Amino acid sequence: MLSRSAERLYWLARYMERTENTAKLVSVYMNLLMDLPKGVEMGWQQLLRINGSEKEFYEKYKSANERNVIRFMLADDSYSSSLFASLSAARENIRTTRELLPDEAWEQVNEMYLCSKSELEIVANRRSRVLFLKKIIEGCQRFSGLLSGYMSHNHPYRFIRLGRNLERADMTSRILDLASLLLADSRSDELRQYETILWMNILTALNALLMYRQHVRSRVKGDDVLNYLLLDKNLPRSVARCLVEISESIAQLPNSDALPQRVVEMENYVQAIDTREATQLQLRAILDDLQNKLGGLHGNIADNWFARMED
Amino acid sequence: MKSIWENYTTENAYDELMYSEFQPRPVSHSLCQYLNSLKKTDIDKRKIAAELAIMEMGITFTVYSDEGNIDRAWPFDIIPRIMDAREWRVIEQGLKQRLTALNCFISDVYGEQQFIKDGKIPSETINSSKNFRKECVGMKPRHNVWANICGTDLVRNKDGIMYVLEDNLRVPSGVSYMLENRVITKRVFPELLQGIDILPIDDYPTQLQDMLASIAFADTDKPLIVVLTPGIYNSAYFEHAYLAQQMGAQLVEGNDLVVKDDNCVYMRTIEGLEKVDVIYRRIDDDFLDPEVFRKDSTLGVPGLMRAWQAGNVALANAPGAGVADDKVVYAYVPEMIRYYLNEEPILPNVPTYLCSNKEHYDYVMDHLAELVVKPANESGGYGMLVGPHSTAKEVEAFRKVIQADPRNYIGQPTLAISTAPTLCKGKLEPRHIDLRPFILQGENTFVTAGGLTRVALRKGSLVVNSSQGGGSKDTWIINMEGN
Repeated sequence: MLSRSAERLYWLARYMERTENTAKLVSVYMNLLMDLPKGVEMGWQQLLRINGSEKEFYEKYKSANERNVIRFMLADDSYSSSLFASLSAARENIRTTRELLPDEAWEQVNEMYLCSKSELEIVANRRSRVLFLKKIIEGCQRFSGLLSGYMSHNHPYRFIRLGRNLERADMTSRILDLASLLLADSRSDELRQYETILWMNILTALNALLMYRQHVRSRVKGDDVLNYLLLDKNLPRSVARCLVEISESIAQLPNSDALPQRVVEMENYVQAIDTREATQLQLRAILDDLQNKLGGLHGNIADNWFARMED
Repeated sequence: MKSIWENYTTENAYDELMYSEFQPRPVSHSLCQYLNSLKKTDIDKRKIAAELAIMEMGITFTVYSDEGNIDRAWPFDIIPRIMDAREWRVIEQGLKQRLTALNCFISDVYGEQQFIKDGKIPSETINSSKNFRKECVGMKPRHNVWANICGTDLVRNKDGIMYVLEDNLRVPSGVSYMLENRVITKRVFPELLQGIDILPIDDYPTQLQDMLASIAFADTDKPLIVVLTPGIYNSAYFEHAYLAQQMGAQLVEGNDLVVKDDNCVYMRTIEGLEKVDVIYRRIDDDFLDPEVFRKDSTLGVPGLMRAWQAGNVALANAPGAGVADDKVVYAYVPEMIRYYLNEEPILPNVPTYLCSNKEHYDYVMDHLAELVVKPANESGGYGMLVGPHSTAKEVEAFRKVIQADPRNYIGQPTLAISTAPTLCKGKLEPRHIDLRPFILQGENTFVTAGGLTRVALRKGSLVVNSSQGGGSKDTWIINMEGN
């Protein structure tokens, strides 16, 4: 398979995962706001902080109210991590790799793109937004489902799996970051009373609430949630599980060179993370470090397979 | 309620489906009966369903404009164009005959040049053709076939006769739209297709793959075939990706390929370099290899011509095949058929006046307002004059253009090209159409059953090119025997 195609499929998967994650994040955040009592102030600007996009946001908008933040995160095509921009980028990548994928994959992404394009204006309205986000999440699930059901689990598929899991691990760490942020705020005394609600929503954002209950079998507690989402090797969206997927994909790809070793180091690093004694500030530092390391892993993958090989 | 046929007229041209407003031809009998059984709102619904399908399937072509490149949905008319299989079989033979003769001619041009030596065509005509490539002299592609993929444009005049308008031997496009048009028709009119015996067209990708495999130089069981595209900004990118996908071939861009010192072509894969045997190239000769042709080309592959000349990679179509895709050379095709095949042409040419010939030139100049004048080497319907549809000022301006470069222009009578009913704002109106069948030639010769019917959607317009307001129709070749 062409190096160029490998790179485009990898990014296709990353952008599709990002599209789904953004949709899920916004919908869970709306939920959380509805669960918390009026007195507890929790603004929309927190959503900007987890993608580190506050600076870019304030260059375009004055205040971080619901309307602006939603517009920025879902519909703004000049913000590269917005839902629409991610979906557009996914579509560009699949348009140039159609020959490697089942017909339905292209049609699925194209359909979602056309649907979002026509519905961008209505996301300001909460009711339409809920429906829109649901449609997007279902579309992304259909995409993953038809690839896993229709496509040979060959090299192209492995690059898709690689991209998806790297993006997923990154997003899980960012969502945990959001939790620590909310709890670290100065007004957190009041928020702390609602800590359980917060953690339940975090689990929901990662589709992990049911699995958590079955696995932990006690009430929802911050430390347990953190450990579960970071270290559990069976939960699809935990960081540890994503690394297992990454490691399996890499093992089946040619010329992986030093990459398996890198992943082992990464896995060891994650398993050694101890959040129990960590203050909010330390937790944030740990998660930042984790995100940087994931970025490093991406760099290794790109150097290894996507860089134009010297003749 | 008003009929969708209200005010339909067949007076101005031969109509493919109708004798008159009230009387369908035998081939279109079932279709007309079916259309008349639908309510007007039903027909509109089918049209909308077709447009939706086109959007979702992402069937687009790219239009260049000042505001950047826009991806437009493929304009499709849901009313099919229909032809009797008995007529089609004759056309099919004619197309095979024509491409066989054209390939004999190209081999001859780059070989012995007997056709020229026997005085059948002036040598200046060949030497001055910008698609004659001296680098190709002496080359022998497999099966002596240079033009492996040909799209021949046919039009029917008021006399009911099908004429060949031109042969596209460089990188003809449109076949993916032909295939997708049928997919859409099946979605939109499933109940109609059940009762009619229409020849299938969906084996084209398999035939293309077989043909490409048959031209590989290396005797390998499974030659590695790639489709070389100029990239996503090319107007036919959709088609390149579509055909690659349908054949299970790899779609590559120029910088995915590299020619090494052993004069072999390799593609850059995650496993290292892999040798390529056959390239279905969708890039013009000019941009194919910066070492030989245009130096500034970033689309091609440096060294590709070396590899081809060394017999290490097959190119379809072969470089230089375009020498026969020249509207001046076109005028000599009937003679080629007689000369090389010792047969009479089955399909007639449109009478053609060559401006390089003094007598013809005078005729063209005297009758400019009645003729269609075309440049010899353009495609896409650009740079031409349709005399009867132009103002006196336009005609005079074009006169100067011809005077400056007579070799590069030909004149033809303006044909009253045939029409077919086309859905326009909920009503059927006659619109002019042509037909582009696709012919494959390698070890064997294959012709698509029908082809791509293009339709000029603007009232009275004769220009069917999609870049200039043209659309397309599904083309049905119907087996009437047994009915």
